Amino acid sequence: MSTTNSTSLEETARRAVDLARRHGANEASATAGRMRELEVQWRDGRVEKVSEATTRGLSLQLFVDGRYSAVSTSDLRPDALDRFISDSIAMTRVLTPDEHRRLPEPEFYAGRASLELMIEDPRQTQLSSEERQRFARELEEGARSADGKGAILSVTTGFGDLSREVFRVTSNGFEGGSRSTQFAASAEVSVQDPDGRRPEEGDSGFSRFFEDLPSASALGRRAGERALGRIGSVKGASAVLPMVVDNKAAGRLVSMLLASMVGGAIQQKRSFLDGKLDQQVGSPLLSLSDEPHLKRGLGSRLFDGEGITSRPMALFEEGVLRTYFIDSYYARKLQTRPTTGGPSNLSWKLGTKDRAGLLADLGEGILVTGFLGGNSSALTGDFSLGIQGFRVRGGQLAEPISEMNISGNQLDLWKRLVAVGSEPYRYSTSRTPTLVFEGVQFAGT
Amino acid sequence: MTRQDLVGGGTDEALLGGAEAERTGTRGPAEGIGYFARFGVTETLIRETLAAALSRGGDYSDLFFQHRVSTSMSLEDGAVNRAFTTVELGVGVRVIKGDQTGYAYTEELSLEAMRSAARTAAAIADGPSRAGPQHFHVFKDLPKRYVLQAGWDAVRPEQKLPILEGLNSAAFQADTRVAKVSLSFSDEHGAVLVADSTGRIVEDVQPMTSLYLSCVAEQNGKREQNAYGVAGRAGLDFYSRDRLDRIVREAVARTTILFDSVQPPAGEMPVVLAAGSSGILLHEAIGHGMEADFNRKGTSIYADKLNKPIAHPFVNIVDDGTNEHARGAINVDDEGNVPGKTMLVENGVLTTFLHDSISARHYKVKPTGNGRRESYRHAPLPRMRSTYMLPGPHTPDEIIASVKKGIYCSNFTNGQVNIGAGDFTFYVKNGYLIEDGKLTRPIKDVNIIGNGPKVLEKVDMVANDLVIDEGGWTCGKDGQGVPVSQGIPTVRVASITVGGRNA
Repeated sequence: MSTTNSTSLEETARRAVDLARRHGANEASATAGRMRELEVQWRDGRVEKVSEATTRGLSLQLFVDGRYSAVSTSDLRPDALDRFISDSIAMTRVLTPDEHRRLPEPEFYAGRASLELMIEDPRQTQLSSEERQRFARELEEGARSADGKGAILSVTTGFGDLSREVFRVTSNGFEGGSRSTQFAASAEVSVQDPDGRRPEEGDSGFSRFFEDLPSASALGRRAGERALGRIGSVKGASAVLPMVVDNKAAGRLVSMLLASMVGGAIQQKRSFLDGKLDQQVGSPLLSLSDEPHLKRGLGSRLFDGEGITSRPMALFEEGVLRTYFIDSYYARKLQTRPTTGGPSNLSWKLGTKDRAGLLADLGEGILVTGFLGGNSSALTGDFSLGIQGFRVRGGQLAEPISEMNISGNQLDLWKRLVAVGSEPYRYSTSRTPTLVFEGVQFAGT
Repeated sequence: MTRQDLVGGGTDEALLGGAEAERTGTRGPAEGIGYFARFGVTETLIRETLAAALSRGGDYSDLFFQHRVSTSMSLEDGAVNRAFTTVELGVGVRVIKGDQTGYAYTEELSLEAMRSAARTAAAIADGPSRAGPQHFHVFKDLPKRYVLQAGWDAVRPEQKLPILEGLNSAAFQADTRVAKVSLSFSDEHGAVLVADSTGRIVEDVQPMTSLYLSCVAEQNGKREQNAYGVAGRAGLDFYSRDRLDRIVREAVARTTILFDSVQPPAGEMPVVLAAGSSGILLHEAIGHGMEADFNRKGTSIYADKLNKPIAHPFVNIVDDGTNEHARGAINVDDEGNVPGKTMLVENGVLTTFLHDSISARHYKVKPTGNGRRESYRHAPLPRMRSTYMLPGPHTPDEIIASVKKGIYCSNFTNGQVNIGAGDFTFYVKNGYLIEDGKLTRPIKDVNIIGNGPKVLEKVDMVANDLVIDEGGWTCGKDGQGVPVSQGIPTVRVASITVGGRNA
């Protein structure tokens, strides 16, 4: 990224705020952004698809006589932009005034950490299309190396990287931007099951720095092993059993929990965690915090989407709920102080055992390696989710299982958390370790 | 104000008029093509971009221009106090060599930017340059599946406000237990133009709208929430008195019944699916597995089942682009092909896959008009449109009466499938227990899980009451969402795993 480019994003954002003010907005914020993405998809020995794109856009929040709208456009031709802003303001004027709709108070912009978050890898601009293809090819070779019996039907791998640059300006004094990179590698493997099914499984890695991706051969091999592990899967009997959720899959459970912690859900009475602040809602092993300043973190940031300064924040301490994610609008409606609109990176209080150690302790139960569909009510906490994984007997993996389901209520589930693993899943912002729950309802035959 | 100024043009009629003029050849290339003339899109620009796209010997190339203005307005706590608008303008360039694809897009419609995107996409091939088309013909016989009285670019925001306010009051009046109401009204004015290396140009103006009511009710200190919405490729007149009444009635009834609802027992049991949105079964259990890309790669569980019986002879399933005003209807797919009605399963036999142009070439068949994409930022893939089952020989009463112990499912929120293994789920928000042939206690919140081919074989009764659902369903695949519809008559599945609780 050159300096010239980022100057033009700053100029675009400042100009948009000026235009909005000139057309009659009392307050405005503008975020100008640019993203460049490159991707290669590889299948069975050759390139399947290559794509490359540069996208740019502008989004605006407009506050007009107590009324509010948020708009965005990719049509940045000067005439079109001018007309877009004036039309958007005219549209805003017909809405109902809302005293809670204002920019955040400038005090919340203060105290921004002066840290190098290490979220931009200079290597990204130097990657060649040959290197991307080589990575994708090595992913496939890794996957096929896991197969001794010729069960693999097809391997699709992918390598992609992007650079993103944004700059935000508000009419009440906030200015800030970020430049970041991201790399993604994935391998999907489809295998032939003797019963006619063609199960697929895969693995993937995401990182800010190229060197933080797993090696192509290791990632590919893991994807191959995961797919081959699906062969011969069966539907087990309905039962109440202990459940281990591996660290890659556990993020799904955590996202259900976090969905009930956002300000909108609390204020709209759509959260089972409403009224539970500082109460015990999980087992003492549920300890996690939000860590926005994690170096090289996929969710790392110095300020959030509104410009509110990011700070580390306890979410659950030994099972006690400590905070909600509250943006400035719902903070005013709830007559409280904003925290931040959503999580950055999660940091868990880890246990001492890895997955194998946890399985050995478990003895009898089910290991969940993936979820399929299902839903959870943010209001009641009731959930029902499809699963696949393995039966565990005598502390060892036994037959693979599929076509099964778990059901329960989150207030009950999180109290049943009986062990936390030692290895967080590095390739996601929720960085979840392996989690173990006792007494979970499984549905099968 | 109207949004006419925003897009810099007139109403739909004027736009179609423009396209008509182009078709009859009264406009020269310098003046631009139809709707996209306003963005400076001319035959010259298209010709030079396609030439750059074929500069390394690709077999085929197409350009997908799109302009879309999406607006939504929301009501919360009694006030329509927020609105959102998104404008998208860009062109995607695709180059195909065999079954390999090069793709790039730009949001600047200048010759320089488009040529650069085209050269990027061209790099998928590696050979001598091929000539692009010298002459273009505008495709004339597009069907008219969503003719509007007025386009959304001509509807004033003030016209939408009273609808939202009226629904809000009606929901509170409908039941004293209603504690919170939120509403979202969305509309879309979109236009696409496909130009390809055979010299074909096709244009379509695509409207879309949806209205969604979500409600929280409170009873004896307990809260429940649920929602109901309608969607279609339609204009403001879609919101008839009947539809608006139905939105309130259904949203409130589906919420308040949850106070009396239980979770069904866990395990395998007979399941009766109500007519309408239960078509989600077809979408997940069979539709995705019949998309030809997965079959071309040999990774679908249906890959070796073409022309084989896969269901009872009274099971007939179609994927249809032609239902007027349906959310999944299209006049033209995103590769420029006119879709019709595709029989997927005829008298229980799997008859065809759903094709885009790449898979159609692979299988040496005609494209079925299923090449769809979320926007110019994505290459097209084989995707469903409106997927439904035709009526069968039974009656709904007969089907319910036939079940001794099972569940009846009427309202769904989402579903998912593993294509190769065939395992799929759908999530039931409302339904009933069936005991001794009668609907008894209401049920809620249960995920149903099964295996596509196995479940399809177990569809052993089909009623005569087909309903195509009006919900705002979006199908996700490869990170791209496209609007779809679904429908089904009342059916019985002899046995399937219900993810309930045995407590």
